[in-house]
This record gives sequence, C-alpha cells and structure tokens, in this order.
Amino acid sequence: MLTKKIKTRLSFLISIILITLCFLIFIYFNLKQNILYFKTPSEIFINNQIKENSMIRVGGMVKKDSIRQNNKEIRFILTDYKKELIVVYSGTVPNLFSEEQGAVVEGVLNDKKYLIADRILAKHDENYMPPQMKKILKENAK
Amino acid sequence: MIIEFLQMGGYGFFVWASFFIVTVSCLFLYYRARKTLKKYEKEFVKELESLPIKHKKRITKSSKVIGSILASQNKLS
Amino acid sequence: MDLFSFGNVIVYVNKLIKFINSIFFVILIIGLSFALIFSPVDYLQGDTVRIMYVHVPSAWIGISIFSLIAISSILNFVFKIKNLFLIVKSLAPIGLLFTCLSIVTGSLWGKPTWGTWWAWDARLTSMFMLMVFYILFIFSFKYFKNKEYLPKILTALSILGIINIPIIKYSVEWWSTLHQPASIKFTGTSSIHSSMLIPLFLMLLALLLYCALIFLMKYKTEIIKIKKQNIKRL
Repeated sequence: MLTKKIKTRLSFLISIILITLCFLIFIYFNLKQNILYFKTPSEIFINNQIKENSMIRVGGMVKKDSIRQNNKEIRFILTDYKKELIVVYSGTVPNLFSEEQGAVVEGVLNDKKYLIADRILAKHDENYMPPQMKKILKENAK
Repeated sequence: MIIEFLQMGGYGFFVWASFFIVTVSCLFLYYRARKTLKKYEKEFVKELESLPIKHKKRITKSSKVIGSILASQNKLS
Repeated sequence: MDLFSFGNVIVYVNKLIKFINSIFFVILIIGLSFALIFSPVDYLQGDTVRIMYVHVPSAWIGISIFSLIAISSILNFVFKIKNLFLIVKSLAPIGLLFTCLSIVTGSLWGKPTWGTWWAWDARLTSMFMLMVFYILFIFSFKYFKNKEYLPKILTALSILGIINIPIIKYSVEWWSTLHQPASIKFTGTSSIHSSMLIPLFLMLLALLLYCALIFLMKYKTEIIKIKKQNIKRL
C-alpha cells in the first residue's frame, strides 16, 4: 500500500496543484478581455467602454457584394449577421481576402459604424476540400 | 511540368520551406542522437577493456546489456 | 519485474530499432508522395494546404509528448520509478523539436493565408507557452543535477504545463482567435475531405515512427550511461 513517504509526496503534489489553479484563475479573470483576439461588430455596438479613436481589432465576415475598390483605397462591410461595420483600408490585402470569407481588421474606430484599418488579416474556416468537391456542394445548395 | 510542380501555384516558397525545415531538423536530431549513442558505446567498451580479465568475462556473460553493446561494436570494426 | 530489467529492455530496443529502420523509408516515401503530388489542392487555399501535412502532425506530436512526459514525471515524483525518469529525459528533446516545427511551419502557413507570420491569439500564444515549458524542462535537466530538487521542479513544471494542454486544445472554441477551429475532432465527422486525410495520417505515421526511433536511441544511450557508472560494481 501507500507508504508514508508516498503520502507526503502526494500531499505536496496536491498543494502545488491547488496553488497553480488559484493562480491561473486569478490570471484568467484579469486577462479576460485580452484573451479575445478580436471583437465582433455587435460587441462594439453594445459595449460602451470601447472608446472612439482607439486601436481595436474586429473580426467578422466580409459582406457579399460590399467590396468597393478604387486606386487609393478599398472599402467593404464587415458583418456578424447582426450588426455591420464599414471598413476603409489602403494597402494590399491578403490573398484569401474575399467576399463571404472571414477577416480580422486592425485599426482605429471613427465611430461605432466606421473603422479606418491599418491591417487586414484573412481568417479561414476549418473545412478543407478539393475544388471539385466545393463545386458539387455549391450546385447542391442551389 | 516540373517547374509547375516546384511553383506550387505560386506558394512554392512556403510549401518547400516548411518541408525542408522539417527534414533538415529531423536529420539533425537523428545525427545528434546517433553520435551520442556511438560515443557512449565506445566509452563503455573502453572501460570494459580496462577491467581485469576475470571480472570482464564474468560480467559479459551475465549481462545482456553488455553483450548487445559489444555485438554492435564488433559489427562496426 | 524482471521483464523490465535493463538487460531485457535493451534486447527489445534493438529489435524495435531494426524493425523501424526496415519500414520507415517506405512509409515516408509513400506519405511524402501523397502529400506533395497525389493529394488535391484546397478550393480556397490552393497548394498552401500541403503545409498542413507537416504542421498538424508536428503539433499533435508536440502536445501528446508533453502530456506523456508530464504524467510520467508526476508518477516518477510520487513512486520514484527510475525507468520513467529515463523515458522523460529521452522524450523531452523530441517533443521540443516538434513543437518548434509546428510553430515554424504554422508561421509559414500563416503568411500566405492569413497575411501575417504571427499573431498573439489564444491558440498561438498557448502553443508558444508549450514551447517555453519544454525549454524549462530541458534546462532543469541540465542545471539541476541534485536528486532532491530535480523531481520537485519537474513536477511543478509538469502541473503548470499540463494545465496548458486543454487550453491549447479548446482555445479555438472558447475564445475568438485568428486560428481556425479544429478540423478533426474526437467525436463526429472531420471537416477535411478524405483525399486529404490519407496524406495527413501517412505523414503522422511516418513522423511517429521517426519519434520512436529517436526515442529508442536516446533511451539506449541513457541505459548505457547507467551501466557505465555501475560497471565496477557488477
């Protein structure tokens, strides 16, 4: 059976586990806001603590048929299917950036509906398939 | 066709770089592990040789570990 | 108990090394040819999807080796099993290598798809923490030779590190991250097409065999080291 030595070691172990758990919970509640890599447009709309003219990261889907591009800037609507946010950006976009795809924009909020972006990152989903497969899926959807 | 394969639809650099890095670092770790193994086997045999003959014979017979190390050393030389 | 004596173990180790050497290259070549030639491109990402075949197995291996060595060093601390300590010592560098590889290949994958090499989102940060834990683990082997302290330090590191493991796994579900959610789940169907799963699992098998090979070589080295110390007492 468990000897006394093993029992002391086990109690040492459990105390370490408890201390680390407390520590982690403390960290978690302090960093809760920072863990989120981006906010959604509706969170920005609801949350009153977000100040205008501050740096922020917003993520969502690029709305269909919303990309307007001229030689100076690109302008599109970022949506989470509840609220929408107009994004203005001048610079090159990632290859995967397109309509009805996820995107994360980093920039300054002008007001709650208008964002001037410094950087655009494309976000893709967890589905991987060959192009033929995608075609079939699209046709089935129709 | 080969150029097409190397280009990987314009993403060649990223694809080949990642496969290359994986291969090279795996080879490096293999080389390191092999080198240390050989080094310790050699040192072990040296130590064994320095023992008195009677003692050496006795432990070579009794220990499988020593037997297998000697076998792998003999293969090399 | 005699089954696990060093004498018997080294015989198995030698046999296994031979076996792995005989099949490794066949599986590697099949895996690589599927990964680079026969597998289709992705509808969205094109050829960059091929990076997945080294990135995902490396990440899995890095995570599972850490879980293994963390549990082993906790068990070693409580029950003082010498063999477990040797296993931990031989596995740690392999795990570190694959964690670093998954970070590097991930960043090579991130640049063409996301548009950035690195982002401090929850998944990437927790993976970075895993690498830090591995480094701390290996450093404590090097600098704490003391038999009193080393198991305690390793246990503390293991507990901290093992809490990090579910954070890595679920970070993409709990928080908003740039990294996409898991494609292959324990339950339910995977969202990777079967033609892409074949190279993924072949490469996983090849890399696992490689890990086993390195582990056995390192483990054998450790046994020889111990035998060398005890040679006069035999």
